[in-house]
Amino acid sequence: MKMEDMALSGPDSTRLEALVHDIYSELVEDACLGLCFEVHRAVKHGYFFLDDTDPESAKEFEIVDQPGLDIFGQVYNQWKNKECECPNCKRLIAASRFAPHLEKCLGMGRNSSRIASRRLASNNNNVSKSESDQEDNDDLNDNDWSYGAEKKSKKRKSDKNQNSPRRSKSLKHKNGDLGSSVTSEAFKYNNYNSTGINYETLGPEEVRSLLTTQCGVISEHTKKMCTRSQRCPQHTDEQRRSVRVFLLGPSASSLPDTDTTAESDTFDLQGDGGGPQNLISRLQWEDSPDISPTDSASSRASTNHSDPRRPKKKKRTSLALNHSAGGGEGTSGNLTSGSNGGISQSSVNLPTKKKRPKLPAPSISSIYDDLNQH
Amino acid sequence: MSPAGCPHVNCFKVDNWKQNLRAIYQCFVWSGSAETRKRKAKSCICHMCGAHLSRLHSCLYCVFFACFAKKHIHEHAKSKRHNLAIDLLYGGIYCFMCQDYIYDKDMEQIAKEEQRKAWKMQGLKAFELKLGIGEKYSTWEPTKRELELLRHNPKRRRITSNCTIGLRGLINLGNTCFMNCIVQALTHTPLLRDFFLSDRHKCEMQSNSCLVCEMSQLFQEFYSGHRSPHIPFRLLHLVWTHARHLAGYEQQDAHEFLIAALDVLHRHCKDDNGKKANNPNHCNCIIDQIFTGGLQSDVTCQVCHGVSTTIDPFWDISLDLPGSSTPFWPLSPGGDGSTLNGESHATGATTLTDCLRRFTRPEHLGSSAKIKCSGCHSYQESTKQLTMKKLPIVACFHLKRFEHSAKLRRKITTYVSFPLELDMTPFMASSKESRMNGQYQQTVEPFNNDNKYSLFAVVNHQGTLESGHYTTFIRQHKDQWFKCDDAIITKASIEAVLDSEGYLLFYHKQFLEYE
Repeated sequence: MKMEDMALSGPDSTRLEALVHDIYSELVEDACLGLCFEVHRAVKHGYFFLDDTDPESAKEFEIVDQPGLDIFGQVYNQWKNKECECPNCKRLIAASRFAPHLEKCLGMGRNSSRIASRRLASNNNNVSKSESDQEDNDDLNDNDWSYGAEKKSKKRKSDKNQNSPRRSKSLKHKNGDLGSSVTSEAFKYNNYNSTGINYETLGPEEVRSLLTTQCGVISEHTKKMCTRSQRCPQHTDEQRRSVRVFLLGPSASSLPDTDTTAESDTFDLQGDGGGPQNLISRLQWEDSPDISPTDSASSRASTNHSDPRRPKKKKRTSLALNHSAGGGEGTSGNLTSGSNGGISQSSVNLPTKKKRPKLPAPSISSIYDDLNQH
Repeated sequence: MSPAGCPHVNCFKVDNWKQNLRAIYQCFVWSGSAETRKRKAKSCICHMCGAHLSRLHSCLYCVFFACFAKKHIHEHAKSKRHNLAIDLLYGGIYCFMCQDYIYDKDMEQIAKEEQRKAWKMQGLKAFELKLGIGEKYSTWEPTKRELELLRHNPKRRRITSNCTIGLRGLINLGNTCFMNCIVQALTHTPLLRDFFLSDRHKCEMQSNSCLVCEMSQLFQEFYSGHRSPHIPFRLLHLVWTHARHLAGYEQQDAHEFLIAALDVLHRHCKDDNGKKANNPNHCNCIIDQIFTGGLQSDVTCQVCHGVSTTIDPFWDISLDLPGSSTPFWPLSPGGDGSTLNGESHATGATTLTDCLRRFTRPEHLGSSAKIKCSGCHSYQESTKQLTMKKLPIVACFHLKRFEHSAKLRRKITTYVSFPLELDMTPFMASSKESRMNGQYQQTVEPFNNDNKYSLFAVVNHQGTLESGHYTTFIRQHKDQWFKCDDAIITKASIEAVLDSEGYLLFYHKQFLEYE
């Protein structure tokens, strides 16, 4: 029977209403009873206190909604100096540089296999490499530091997936933070020029044979030997001559010109742990002027040898050179063997490499004066 | 004996007490079926005053019902020395000696079981009526150990809707915004969050390289209350170790990363439920439970109309967009006869539903792609149609914005509007069957909540094909949205979310049933 119908008849309706009211209040009471039971049970079991939370600390976690701040009330972009430990090599790396580091570290980068095989090759030649340098080589080909070299590599990439954004390096991290943990090891020695050869990894015989067929002039930018023919237009004969002298000793020059005008600042000196002694011995190839590679390199090197070397190399007179007894031939051996030992130090100069070295001792005339004026 | 119990129950716990207690529960407290309900209604009246209501109790020692409110049961207890009575409404056991309700472990156990049974019976009936009532939800109760721990740590934080706990920024490790955006979406997947926060992962890997453990750790970081952004370097390392094809310092696709990450997680947590995955289709790991759906592909021979059906598992649905070089609406002759033909698509923005309709439309395969029909035993032309056989709990839609055809490579920036709530019923295989059976009009069943989904995460890409940046909008606390841009988390409005371009859309099933 519908409620509306019932409302019409008198005493019946009140009884019905009373009934309904009874049922309703019973339902409400039952519901409240249920709640009471829950609380009672919680108290008896001892977990009622869980509802108490600390209101003070709750305030710390309130969401902030103001422009310029994130939800924690912090200013954007203050997280520049975060560091983390690489799970592979256990070194501390700046967080924003972690991905490129890890790529090299795991040997997954585009150049990692090349670096690795080159390292293996040079290992066969040079026994005396220090361990730390091995790691440093990982960073050798890190392109993040040189915009130009990287651009070349981008074009060679092929797409792996139909529907993904094209893979390419974003340049935003290129000039990224060095971070406090990035020491001189991170100063990359850019060997990226694929058209050149890194002479440091070659033994003397290889160098010799190379130089008989190739131009061999060491590029100022990439520190590599030019692989063009001996008549390559980019370099002069003087340069070629001085390279040969530099690499093979004064008697090795096969070029007709005695006028060597190698670019001095292309030669990063192998600051091989031999110290000033070896440097001086190298400087001794003096009938051809010594190319003092340290001009560009270790003069700016922040590490050990720079200071003692500087005066010596700048002088470039036979004066300095007479001090040591090392022979020309011997030095070339030193050169290559010590090469990688010096890279880390000498490559520190990379950012400033483009500057011409300034010789504070101008009074000494040598063929390198020409060089220096390039 | 726990502090919640009492010594007086020991007199009761003799002989066949368990059976008796069960009988009482089944007949008079939790009524599973209509008959028991009727019986309860008829027989449960106070033996002293005849009242039906007013907190009826039953004596545990003999068959005697009496009301509590008027103390009739107390009189009975005193006179007969029957010290225990049970409340017929909620099943609580009252001890007259202690003068309080007591909670005895064994008796509670029986009560719980009987309650579950009754609910199940009711549920079955309701299921027939498609009411969707499943298992009864019981709230969490802490164990003794948990209680201890909680007591020792008085600074408890309750996650309210205005709380930042659960949100955290992620540092960009060098072009890793694609990883960050997926991590944000995963950590805000409610079911996944619950799984990891309740420590459900038991690691069986010997080495330290289990990605699921790392994921678990990630949740701990997000809920730690720290405000500084997290550095996910270990996660990156693990992903690169396990998914070599993704490794490398370069910009990657977020969708690819999602699939690779799900794949690795799936491989690593296969053994969580104790079932060795001999059959990949029967893996019961959390990833499969949440993300795996079944896509049904029906190939219909044009000649004999025989249908061959295959079902493939999927983790995401990739949808074509208008503006790509393949035409959006190439309606086949035998196509969906409903509203699409002739509808002007230029009016209004494309919606997600449009894309889904296109995805599930019958596609004529053409004479160059004849399929061998087992009915005709020859190669015939056919139409192919995709529908959803089984929808995952979390459905991820991937809008194919990056086009890499032979001629051009570009990003399609067509705006696609997507809804906050989505009903997937029209795209289900079952709907298609009923359509084919002639029922063109789909009656919306009011109680069928199986296919209703809510948006909870949106991944957006800004920029060009060559270089760009990913950000994510995620939903927290029902209606609050936040924008996650690497290390910066800010509050966002629903309008901002719905206006965004959309690249990956994550929808969560609205109603979940317990099994």
